[in-house]
Amino acid sequence: MHYSSKSKLLSGSAIVAGAFLFSAAAMAQDVTVAFSASELGATAYNPVAASKLNTATSLIFDRLVEQDADQSFHPHLATSWEETPDGMAWTFSLLDGVTFHDDTPFNAAAVQFWIASYEGTENEYLVEAIGSVDVIDDLTVRFNMDRPEPNLLYNLASAFMGIPSPTAYAALGDDFGVTAAVGTGPYRLESFEIGLQTVLTRNDDHTWGSDLSENTGPGHIETFTFREIPDQSTAFLELRTGGIELLLGVPTDFLQILQAEQNIEIIQMPGTGISYMPINVTAAPFDDIRVRQATGMAIDQDGIVAAVYNGVGAPARNFLISSLPEANVDPDLNVTYNPTRAGELLDEAGWMMGGDGVRVRDGERLSVDLFTENSTEFTRLTQVVQAQLGEIGMEATITVFDSSTIRDEYRRNAHQLAVRGYDWNNSDILDWFFSGNRLGYPNVSMWEDAEGQRLNDIAMTESATAAERIANFTTYHEYVLSQHLFVPIYQPTQNIAFNSDAITVPDPVRGSRFRGQSFLDIQVAE
Amino acid sequence: MKTSSMTARTLDAFARMSIGRAFASGIGMVAGGFLVLLVLVAIFAPWIAPFDYAAQNLMNANAPPGWPHLLGTDEFGRDVLSRVIFGARTSLSVSATAIAISMAAGMTLGAAAGYFGGFFERAVMTVVDLTWSFPDILIALIFVAIIGPGLTSTTFAIAIAYLAQFTRLTRAQIVRLKRETFIEATINLGAKPSHILLRHLMPNAIAPVIVVGMLAIGDGIVLEATLGFFGLGAQPPTPSWGAMMSSGTAQLFLSPWVIIFPGVAVAVTVIAVNLFGDELIRALDIRDRLRGS
Amino acid sequence: MILRYTAQRLLMLIPVSFSTSVVIFMIVYLLPGDPIDNLLRVGSSPEDRAELVAQYGLDRSLVVQYFVWIGNMFQGEFGQAIVLRRPVADLIAQNLPYSLTLGGLAFLFSSTVGMALGTLSAMVRNPVLDRFVRGFILLGSTVPGFWLALLLILFFSVNLGWFPVSGARGWESLVLPVLTIGFGGVALVARVTRVALLDVQREDFVTLLHAKGLSSGAILFRHLMPHALLPVVTILALRIGWILGGAVTVEFVFGRPGLGSLLIRALGQRDYPVVQACLLMLALAVMLGTLIGDVAQAAMDPRIREKKS
Repeated sequence: MHYSSKSKLLSGSAIVAGAFLFSAAAMAQDVTVAFSASELGATAYNPVAASKLNTATSLIFDRLVEQDADQSFHPHLATSWEETPDGMAWTFSLLDGVTFHDDTPFNAAAVQFWIASYEGTENEYLVEAIGSVDVIDDLTVRFNMDRPEPNLLYNLASAFMGIPSPTAYAALGDDFGVTAAVGTGPYRLESFEIGLQTVLTRNDDHTWGSDLSENTGPGHIETFTFREIPDQSTAFLELRTGGIELLLGVPTDFLQILQAEQNIEIIQMPGTGISYMPINVTAAPFDDIRVRQATGMAIDQDGIVAAVYNGVGAPARNFLISSLPEANVDPDLNVTYNPTRAGELLDEAGWMMGGDGVRVRDGERLSVDLFTENSTEFTRLTQVVQAQLGEIGMEATITVFDSSTIRDEYRRNAHQLAVRGYDWNNSDILDWFFSGNRLGYPNVSMWEDAEGQRLNDIAMTESATAAERIANFTTYHEYVLSQHLFVPIYQPTQNIAFNSDAITVPDPVRGSRFRGQSFLDIQVAE
Repeated sequence: MKTSSMTARTLDAFARMSIGRAFASGIGMVAGGFLVLLVLVAIFAPWIAPFDYAAQNLMNANAPPGWPHLLGTDEFGRDVLSRVIFGARTSLSVSATAIAISMAAGMTLGAAAGYFGGFFERAVMTVVDLTWSFPDILIALIFVAIIGPGLTSTTFAIAIAYLAQFTRLTRAQIVRLKRETFIEATINLGAKPSHILLRHLMPNAIAPVIVVGMLAIGDGIVLEATLGFFGLGAQPPTPSWGAMMSSGTAQLFLSPWVIIFPGVAVAVTVIAVNLFGDELIRALDIRDRLRGS
Repeated sequence: MILRYTAQRLLMLIPVSFSTSVVIFMIVYLLPGDPIDNLLRVGSSPEDRAELVAQYGLDRSLVVQYFVWIGNMFQGEFGQAIVLRRPVADLIAQNLPYSLTLGGLAFLFSSTVGMALGTLSAMVRNPVLDRFVRGFILLGSTVPGFWLALLLILFFSVNLGWFPVSGARGWESLVLPVLTIGFGGVALVARVTRVALLDVQREDFVTLLHAKGLSSGAILFRHLMPHALLPVVTILALRIGWILGGAVTVEFVFGRPGLGSLLIRALGQRDYPVVQACLLMLALAVMLGTLIGDVAQAAMDPRIREKKS
């Protein structure tokens, strides 16, 4: 400990000194990227154990399969796969000649070790259906399932199933992803200053890009520096002034300005998440379902899209993004703006409008706590929500928390309402946020219900085919909506901006997010 | 009894004359006048402000200064001028309350330390010196971190940050005055310590403390703005100059007036406080009594 | 003698450092909730709790706990950051060089530009210049630091594009932050220099030097300026807390790494081991600065200088 800090002190000073000398460093081969606000604060590049990952993870680690925007799955480290008709076994053929950054080979044994390493972590649910892993030969592996899992390929394509080197993982333990991160990806982790920046350098041995990239060999760019810029407007200014070349996640305010700039180009991709307001059902007055329903009707989603987001994106009416089939629920269950009805419901529940615009019942004011995290976008949205709640006679007091500790705050169960968002394009997000096994966080609504849990478990574990899964999740989704556990607000689009004088990006962008496969195709502009 | 009321009346007249002198000078008139105006604006804010400071009008967000929004609108379409006016209320009341608390506590502590001396004095002054050289923003940050954000904690944070100043000043005054012959005489006559403190020492020590208090209000306004900038002060939608500038950072490029106007308000107020304070020091002729604080 | 005074002040540092460390130590206990919870992640396993309790002696009396804590500090064992899950010592080692660079440069900038301005104001008897300098000094000490920073960014980074908006890459990213902190420092130093030079100018030996035929420039630089150095160092050392406070704000606004931004982030995240370690470092810096300032001030005071031991 002593020595490592001393050497860190020296190297820190050296970095600062070096920065002086090499300020105009070879920028041609060094691209600086800024994370989007929702990706800040990752503590480790450890796909197995981490609860939060950022885009750089997809450059360090490869996955068995990749998913394209049209929901299809493409081979990557797995060249082909076969599922038995009863869904109880999957066999994967692995790509030959792949090595980790520490020169150890990628093979079936590595996959076996990797699946086992999820035990005891937060992400264990990803492999929960897998009973055991058999090594058939060096390049063939079989998953023996405890139950059919139609969602297996989706999980395998997620960033949380990047494959680490077994040797390094075992050796580094808790330090894996912090002091070093070893995968098979096109870029190696050079340095990681937590909360500040991550520097990746090209892996020249990488010749196994998936077919989602035009370039399947080593990346064109030599170094990617990922900066964590907490203030969104600072990030925007950095892009405009040339401080960074690529900005993942542009606030809608700035889209118009950036579009007008000659050297800035915008990429818009379909959204993969929603902003919403969970309601704590255990905290009065929200233990009354009528109050919850009224709260939902107070929010003018279309107005918010028009005014707060300049018409970019779409209103959210339920818990899932519109592109998912499970989002097609009974239209009556969708949450829409209806302040008159909201007023009627509150009157029914005994909350009568007071003289100063706040409702009262038995001498008690309708005064609630509204939590949110300290990103510019959420604090703004929360203030608009506060004003809209005021319209129906609900007085909301805002408290802003740091984004890295707000999850702990939810676990303390001191909240009534909160404004937050999630980023996930699969219906199992319903399980993540509403399962009774996850009270506090992620289950911010603090909802525990026997019937809900039953539907949840059926959808998660008893769906034999993809079609069954969709049906089961739609049913669960509809039940969740009927309980008014949250208020859906907004479906953002993914907006990425880059300096077209400095770099070129693939067109069209493949995959559902701008990550690993797209970075391989980034080139310096001529 | 007759003597003390005569002293009181003489002091009274003297103070009135000197404060009047402070207003007489050119700078004093402008600065002092501005401050009086500011206090009036803060008091009569609901009647002066053209719009409701919390009224959102999202379709008219980020409008540049013009008509009817003389200073433009912020990202929620709220009128900047109205928010600056109500912000004056927040900033002034928080700062004044904080400094009042700080003064009261600091004077008590400092007077006791100065009068009783000995170990008690050494102990108090050690702790006080500790906080005195520590940056006020850090003291305030720590305090707010303990209690949580909001106007109450901001007030107490500011009070604690400046406590040292008043303690030191009062103690210095008391120590100086203790040596005066008329005090010795009073002690010899058998007066109780509380009597001596209240009737004789404090009235003489007050003048410099009040002036420093005024200057501290200026510092307090800056500190409140800084805390608001960090998001630790008044919670939305209550306007505070600092919080306005904080949310304004997001609009630095789109609508810089949201940052410029509250900032100008803070700067002009603090400059006026400092200028008037200087004039007051000159008029009351207590510059030497402020040395060593 | 100065040495004796220094020794005296060093001795006084002991009770001061002790009380400071006690206060910092007590922060965790003043907070609402169980102090052990304040040092752990929410939802930590009982094993983690037991480990922490053992390491810090949290089941023993407060006094024992304090000595365990301070003992750990002396050995460089600052504990584990809750949120970032890293040894606090690593985080400090990572951030300290940035703060030191910023502080050092701000100090240099304040002294040089401040002394230049103060000298100009003292030597050149121009009432307009005088007014300008006095006005500048007033502005420097009253304008809120973060506002100045925002204005500088708006003007020099966004409109003119001369300097980067944020970050810590290269010397260009240091210019605006140093300017922001230095602005107030310059005002301070200018005022002190001006007073010192005006005082010295009246001395007899200056007339003597003039009579001897020395040029004004030579007189200024070789004989007068050195008289201003000590007061400048003194005032900057005494007001080190002010520079530190400025650095904290500036690091936040410009998004630079450093002890200040680490502290603010840790406060927001309720990461108390980090908060305690940062506060200790800052308190140390403040005490050191005050000590240097006090000694320098005493050195200037003829009463102490001329005392025979």
